[in-house]
Amino acid sequence: MVIVCPSCDLAHRAGMAPASERTRCARCGALLQRPENGRIDTAIALGVTALVLFLLSNAYPIVAIQYNGETRVVTLMGAALGFYRQGHAGLAALVFMTTVVSPFLQITSLLYLLIPLRHQRSAPGQNRIFRLIAQVRPWTFVEVFMLGTLVALVRLAAYARVVPGVALGCCGFLMLTMAALSSRTSPAQFWRWVEASRA
Amino acid sequence: MNSPQTGRSLGLLLCLQCRATVRALEVSHPRCPRCHAHLFQRKPHSLALTAALLLCAAILYVPANLLPVMYTQTIFDNEEDTIMSGVLELLHSGSWPIAVLVFIASIVVPLLKIIVLCVVLFSAWRGSPRYRMQRSELFRMVEFIGRWSMLDVYAISLLVALVQIRSLAYVAVGWGALAFAAVVILTLFAARTFDERLLWDTTS
Repeated sequence: MVIVCPSCDLAHRAGMAPASERTRCARCGALLQRPENGRIDTAIALGVTALVLFLLSNAYPIVAIQYNGETRVVTLMGAALGFYRQGHAGLAALVFMTTVVSPFLQITSLLYLLIPLRHQRSAPGQNRIFRLIAQVRPWTFVEVFMLGTLVALVRLAAYARVVPGVALGCCGFLMLTMAALSSRTSPAQFWRWVEASRA
Repeated sequence: MNSPQTGRSLGLLLCLQCRATVRALEVSHPRCPRCHAHLFQRKPHSLALTAALLLCAAILYVPANLLPVMYTQTIFDNEEDTIMSGVLELLHSGSWPIAVLVFIASIVVPLLKIIVLCVVLFSAWRGSPRYRMQRSELFRMVEFIGRWSMLDVYAISLLVALVQIRSLAYVAVGWGALAFAAVVILTLFAARTFDERLLWDTTS
């Protein structure tokens, strides 16, 4: 077995031992192998948790402001809608894609693949969905959105009374869950599960 | 010094989607036997695509920083905010850690990204083996932090959606925000189309 470094193309001879630890490229130091981590059940549990948190983040307001006796709230989708209402459809699409569509696709398609895999079956269109996840994954910006919200809160606090909403907390937990989920469902790990289910 | 064995010299292709190592096939458009993604020795047209995206990003960097990203209207005054004036306002309102954060994410990171991508692009094009370890590391760092520049776009989106209290306070989006978002997206794509392995293809 040969492992080729994705960053510098150096060929490494893979040891016979299972990949139990992180290996790095001998020439450029790029990550070659993540440690094999976790069972498929953990990944599914994290996926379900992420889905619930995602739905909650969308259902409740992120922040409310009170200004001169008037209260205004904003939801996750409302953030994109604000751009759209002012004629910036491109910006609206960008925000919508990175905070709503991409996390949703990532979570649901992972669950779609992992749940049948747990029962030694492969979901219809497995390869296509796997490639979709690989395309979508870099465009999930939940953690950046969280920090952006923090910046917006600080700027608003100078003018109005700011009340953090339920969804803000959910979004924070979603960010952590997504990070855990992503690290446990690396492409290499996913294909290890596929191969194990075929055995 | 004999050259090290690489995927290319051994006739192996690496699937960038599922990381399968595949023996190079003698067909015109090989696909990964495991996940059916397209396989290629190096990302196709990597240098040209990266250069084109980078050029667009560098041009848009100017309006992104000069044009106002938002207009604030209250009963007391009207204000135009560029990215930089937003940072200064945060600094004056006493929240300097947030100001530093926004300054790094919105001004330092995009500029750094454009410069670093130019450097790695140029050295991949020249095929110079000097400092490639450092260049490779710089590239990976920039690839990792690039997404954080979107921070200001999200902050603006919330301000625009929230501050819509007619006649009392009103925030409108400026064209600078679009230019800024375009810079971030273009540099993200530029980093994705760049094939890091091109830095290592010439042996010392």
